[in-house]
Amino acid sequence: MQIDIAGEAMLLDHRRALLWPRRRTLVVADVHLGKGSAFRRAGVPVPSGSTRDDLARLSALIDEHRAERLLVLGDLFHAQLQAHEPWFADMERFTARHPALEFRVVRGNHDRIAGVPAHWRIQWREAPLVDAPFVFMHDAAPSPLGYALGGHLHPVTTLRDAHDKLRLPVFWLRAHYGVLPSFGAFTGGFEARASRDDRLAAVTPERVIALPRTCNDAGAPQR
Amino acid sequence: MPTLADVETWYAARGWTVFDFQRECWAAYAAGESGLIHAPTGAGKTLAAWIGALLQADSGGDEPLRVIWITPMRALAADTAAGLQQASDALGAGWNVELRTGDTGSAARARQRKRLPQALVTTPESLSLLLSYADLIPQFAGLHSVIVDEWHELIGSKRGVQTELCLSRLRALAPRLRSWGLSATLGNLDEASQVLVGTRRPARIVAGVAPKRTIIETLIPPAIQRFAWAGHLGLPQLPQVLAALESARSSLVFTNTRSQAERWFEALSSAKPEWPMALHHGSLDAQLRREVEAGLKAGELRAVVATSSLDLGVDFTPVDQVVQIGGPKGVARLLQRAGRSGHRPGETSRIVCVPTMALELAEFAAARRAAAAGVIESRRPLRNSLDVLAQHVVTLALTGQLSAAQLRAEIANTHAYAALSDAEWNWVLDFVMHGGSALAAYPQYRKVVERDGLLHVDDATLARRHRMSVGTIVSDTMMRVSYLRGGSLGSVEESFISRLKPGDGFVFAGRRVSLLKVRDMTAYVKPGSTASLIPRWMGGRMPLSSELAGTLTELLSEPAGAAGAAPELQALAPLLSVQQRWSQLPRPGVLLVERAASREGQHWFVYPMAGRHVHEGLSALLAYRLAQRSPLTCSFSVNDYGFELLARKLPAIDAAGLHALLAIEDLDIDLPASINASEMARRRFREIARIAGLVFEGFPGAGGDARKTVKQIQASSGLIYDVLARYDPENRLTRQALSEALEQQLDYQRLRETLQRLRSGRIEIVDVERFTPLAFPLWADRLNSHRVSSEGVHERITRMLADLEAAASETAAPRRARRAKA
Repeated sequence: MQIDIAGEAMLLDHRRALLWPRRRTLVVADVHLGKGSAFRRAGVPVPSGSTRDDLARLSALIDEHRAERLLVLGDLFHAQLQAHEPWFADMERFTARHPALEFRVVRGNHDRIAGVPAHWRIQWREAPLVDAPFVFMHDAAPSPLGYALGGHLHPVTTLRDAHDKLRLPVFWLRAHYGVLPSFGAFTGGFEARASRDDRLAAVTPERVIALPRTCNDAGAPQR
Repeated sequence: MPTLADVETWYAARGWTVFDFQRECWAAYAAGESGLIHAPTGAGKTLAAWIGALLQADSGGDEPLRVIWITPMRALAADTAAGLQQASDALGAGWNVELRTGDTGSAARARQRKRLPQALVTTPESLSLLLSYADLIPQFAGLHSVIVDEWHELIGSKRGVQTELCLSRLRALAPRLRSWGLSATLGNLDEASQVLVGTRRPARIVAGVAPKRTIIETLIPPAIQRFAWAGHLGLPQLPQVLAALESARSSLVFTNTRSQAERWFEALSSAKPEWPMALHHGSLDAQLRREVEAGLKAGELRAVVATSSLDLGVDFTPVDQVVQIGGPKGVARLLQRAGRSGHRPGETSRIVCVPTMALELAEFAAARRAAAAGVIESRRPLRNSLDVLAQHVVTLALTGQLSAAQLRAEIANTHAYAALSDAEWNWVLDFVMHGGSALAAYPQYRKVVERDGLLHVDDATLARRHRMSVGTIVSDTMMRVSYLRGGSLGSVEESFISRLKPGDGFVFAGRRVSLLKVRDMTAYVKPGSTASLIPRWMGGRMPLSSELAGTLTELLSEPAGAAGAAPELQALAPLLSVQQRWSQLPRPGVLLVERAASREGQHWFVYPMAGRHVHEGLSALLAYRLAQRSPLTCSFSVNDYGFELLARKLPAIDAAGLHALLAIEDLDIDLPASINASEMARRRFREIARIAGLVFEGFPGAGGDARKTVKQIQASSGLIYDVLARYDPENRLTRQALSEALEQQLDYQRLRETLQRLRSGRIEIVDVERFTPLAFPLWADRLNSHRVSSEGVHERITRMLADLEAAASETAAPRRARRAKA
């Protein structure tokens, strides 16, 4: 879905990614690589496979949009890296497959940088990354430096009427900042509390659909 | 060592006589037998079991642990222990009775770790925990018996399964262990007793004093025409209830839900502020509940409004009168509640019933007929619950003293796992040792390890986390409600508080309070507010028992208003005649279907009169099969009388077409498919995930790093379900969710029978102009509806958006008009 954000033509992809065509930049948030591993390590038996699928989806997005830069708005990793875990090899393959990619991450609260191999060429940032007209950060908040884009919240919205109910991830665009849906498949969601002037774009399996403003209250709990 | 003579002297001193059934129990206990004692509350069951044990006391305070007394309610444990101690002291047995529950302090725990008392009162959860400590094992060797109080409350639930597993372990540690259960009357006493004592021993069934006569009366609303067809408050009946309370010195007012209890307490106390009254339900702070219980015992209270939290246990001083607000849903439950009045064996007990919607009138009449005919509900024990077994295996692995083969042999004697296949057992072992079956990838996972042929849990963090999550009770995320200056009121669901802003008022624990702030899972409030918002708690609704549903249909099909008909049905006659005029009355051999249209879409109201469970299955099946024929998104909701399907557009169909949709053929394919399509299995998985250790609730007291680590591995059960369904479709826990939904939620067996019955009957389709008296409650109480869809997300969202737009432009117009008028 094409959309104007802060005067820039942007593309919202139903695979939960944002594309900035002018800068050939793919933006995603909250990938949570290795989440399944972290669970298993802590004695919670969840099967593996979701990290591999997430990386495959990311690769496909980079290829299709011919992105030159990947910008992750925090929580690329779910927990401390363990080099012997199988998904580590998936990540090796991913970085090897995109040798020319500029790979930048604004560090999120889950990211542990220790042990991340240098040859993955991830450029970490602690502070927000300014690239006018945007300021990229993890937990988006209004910024004097530009329109802020972030993640952290994993926003979803629930649409309902008398006979139907759908809970969908959303791009949540407010007056001064926007929040991306979480990218990782093994991530939960929290209801976006959209106010009247916010824009919501819902992610369906096939495409992104702009929601009319009348939906902005729909997310608020009823009764 | 006390003797029978001592007992008789003590009884005589208190003006009691020994009942024959008590003597029978004591003799059976002395002979080493096990069994089940069933009798109404207050008939002397407790002493029938306990004195049997005391008569075997030999060296008093020097003895090791002799009796474990299991009670289902932590809140009752203290009273129970006090009662047992009193009897022991009076008979000079010299035994120490102590408590071990989640409330037991650390000093007492440490003391018990070194030396357990002669008798321990505990809950299934705390007992499981005790069994996880290796150093306690020798202390169980001298155990004489386990006595399970309120067994009818446990059997039929996973807590019952957990109890069976604990018993199997104790039998292994103390081979001559007796098991005794105390139970209210059940429809399946033979089965219940066999489950309790295990599959390898005989069980003696001892009947207490003959059930007392119960009089079931109904407050008939004066004007049935103006009486609500739906809604579950029944407050219009307040004046009559007040009159009933006026006529008695003390009353217990039972409601079916906590919200209802709050609402009625509020209404009663504003009508009669001068009456000493109290409120009692499971979400109130334990201290508040204890005060109410003490007030009740001391006879200081005119009335107590309560939920099932007062159904159980302690022998309260009798009240003069019991009032039941809302349909009883089960015969046994109504009789149990009635038993709270005239609390002496053999006396007549009386219950005054207050309907909250018209059809409940018929429920009361049905309950009276069923009770008179001796029709009592059964509680079916569960089998092969792999989640509970997985938890148990980890619990026992914590001791590091058992091999897998020993464990398998122990549980083989339980009813719950007697039919467990080797494949299932191996899967459970794989699950706790490797995460899943060998085929699915669960790298790095480890919890239970096998070393020197024994099962161990080596990781201290895992061990601690497991001990914190032992149990099968799954609750919603609760938030404590406290006054800022101290004093806890209890807890409400987090989702309720999250909807409030500071300053908003609500009614809780019978008090009007307003929210100040929320910190650390506590909602701080101050007294006073004008709002009368009342929290709702999930999961408070009981389905009509099949026994009661059967009697109900029978009653409704009898000529209404006939001479000799129950007064409730005579009162219902005008309403039934409206139903008759607008549509038809349901009758045996005919399935009534009403079709109606509203601004919401097209409705089908279908009345198989088979109880909520069967209706849930039938509606899912029908919705699923409809959606298979053409793209459709359809929601459905049920009550005990029928179900409603609602879609924007439902296909035109005749009786023959409907017969085809309700065909029994392919049921075994379509029903599981409809359960999956409507996400019923996914919802069911919540409990399984919690019990099997896949999700955690927040741990109180865990701070700093511990909290952070737990946060890192917290995911909703729905999310875990989706990951399992995708990456490990053979996982047996997701399969268990499906079979639980089939067998427990939908009552598969009865559903099959219902379909058989419908096949040979007629279907009458009636187009109605307005919602009929039968349809209206379905429409008005549409709670917790499910849906099935065969459309793509894109189609659904587009349609919803179009509807939303239409609705928005519709509501905008009248609003402008109103403003213009003002």
